[in-house]
Amino acid sequence: MIKTIDLKKTFSGRGQTIHAVDGVTAHVKSGEVVVIIGPSGSGKSTYLRCLNGLETLTSGHIMVDGIDLADKKTDLNKVRKEVGMVFQQFNLFPHKTVLQNIVLAQQVVRKRSRVEAEEKGQQLLVKVGIPEKAEVYPGHLSGGQQQRVAIARALAMDPKIMLFDEPTSALDPEMVGEVLDVMKQLAREGMTMVVVTHEMGFAREVADRVLFMDQGKLVEEGTPEHFFTEPCEERTKAFLKQVL
Amino acid sequence: MNTAYRNWLWRLLTVLILLSLAAGLWVATKKIDYTWRWNRVPQYFLYHQEEMKTIPFDGRVTKIDNLGDKTRVRVISDDGEEKTFEIDTETIRVNVNDELLEDDDLGATLSWRAGPLIVGLWTTLWLSAAASVLGMIIGLVTGLCRVSNNITLRQLSVIYIEIIRGTPLLVQLFIFYFFLGTVLDISRITAGISALAVFAGAYVAEIIRAGIQSIPKGQMEAARSLGLNVPQAMIHIILPQAFKRTLPPLAGQFISLIKDSSLVSVIAITDLTKSGREVITSTFATFEIWFIVALLYLLLTSVLSQVIAWVERRLAVSD
Repeated sequence: MIKTIDLKKTFSGRGQTIHAVDGVTAHVKSGEVVVIIGPSGSGKSTYLRCLNGLETLTSGHIMVDGIDLADKKTDLNKVRKEVGMVFQQFNLFPHKTVLQNIVLAQQVVRKRSRVEAEEKGQQLLVKVGIPEKAEVYPGHLSGGQQQRVAIARALAMDPKIMLFDEPTSALDPEMVGEVLDVMKQLAREGMTMVVVTHEMGFAREVADRVLFMDQGKLVEEGTPEHFFTEPCEERTKAFLKQVL
Repeated sequence: MNTAYRNWLWRLLTVLILLSLAAGLWVATKKIDYTWRWNRVPQYFLYHQEEMKTIPFDGRVTKIDNLGDKTRVRVISDDGEEKTFEIDTETIRVNVNDELLEDDDLGATLSWRAGPLIVGLWTTLWLSAAASVLGMIIGLVTGLCRVSNNITLRQLSVIYIEIIRGTPLLVQLFIFYFFLGTVLDISRITAGISALAVFAGAYVAEIIRAGIQSIPKGQMEAARSLGLNVPQAMIHIILPQAFKRTLPPLAGQFISLIKDSSLVSVIAITDLTKSGREVITSTFATFEIWFIVALLYLLLTSVLSQVIAWVERRLAVSD
């Protein structure tokens, strides 16, 4: 589904160059849940943002469903239709109600009728457990509810892949569970997911594969059992010792 | 009770200060021996125009029908031609069987006409409205150019903004009127409106730019990640939010525009200010007219700020 070949992303500014992603080669199969973990500044979020073209690639290739994002002729908007993204800061549209948030892109991008889009929106709100909040503005929702709306908004586009960029990091602890529950349900339904998270419990329980990144490089990858019980690399061991 | 009581004392103080200021003004004008003639002012708002009706031939009044406010006067010429006139009762000048010569007055019809101050106010209003709409369009386009990725668009918009903000509006008006007016052969009204619009546009552009840049980056990213392209994201996501945030400074800008429009009187457009000056030349009621003109501007600007406050309240539902 996603193939990443020797992906490099550098940021330059103020006379210094930062290698945020430094030669990552990794693949995600259809229906697979891949969790990326790593210390702050390890480039995992940047890597994720490259996958739907929010960051331009410095070099390397990303093939999403057979389309090369590095190719200048690729219409990124077409790729993004198939790749949903959930952000750490939710990024709901504050001037639109919950339902309008979910309906907008369906109408504008997928060209669905209003009735159809609203029906889909209501179904998804039921799915994420807050159908009663349809007419409320995002500012009146708790963080957990906002993030669930953000997931519903991304799902409304019927994406083939869902990317999660630290979806629970900005939440109060008691709200983490409700968001993770929705994500677990998605994983069970066979959605292809790439998740950057610090929730080791989620990684262990849901992930098919875990990638560990540090300093822009892919240090280790494997199944959760392998990863959490017998990691090979020293850096992985050091990291896990700190977080577990 | 204590705070409420103290608040009333402060309010009383405000009233006292205002009253003493008014009293001071009154005393000051007493000293210079100025006769206030407020009674002369109303006729420059609305006046009763008399249109005299005259008999078109030598003849005689045959019949006068009083219909209340109106009176119907029937006349017959020496050749036997008959004619009927409708005249306001209070102005009637003839009686039945009066012998009249051609062009003698029968009476007049009265009608209310807007005086120069109202006409001037209307000119100022539509002039400012037209300039505001144009200025908003220019400002929006320039503001978008200002944040665009294209270097040429960005540089052009910066040059435009710097030139306009760095020169006085009065000078710009003269350039628009004398130079562009001559070169492009445009009327003084067009020159005035476009000068005001171009002037306001530069300020609006900066307000719009600030508004767009104040929207968190995540909004654009979220919109793009849903597959919206940049124009779609701008129209549906960024601009509505930016508009809401920039409403207060935009309101200030358009209120300034109404006030700045008084400068078009220098290129002989009869706006409120110029009407005021014209009225003064015929009444010598200098003080009264300038106070009235100021009040009329205040009326326009405060209505505008009320309207914008209302829009702001409407947009605040999502907060």
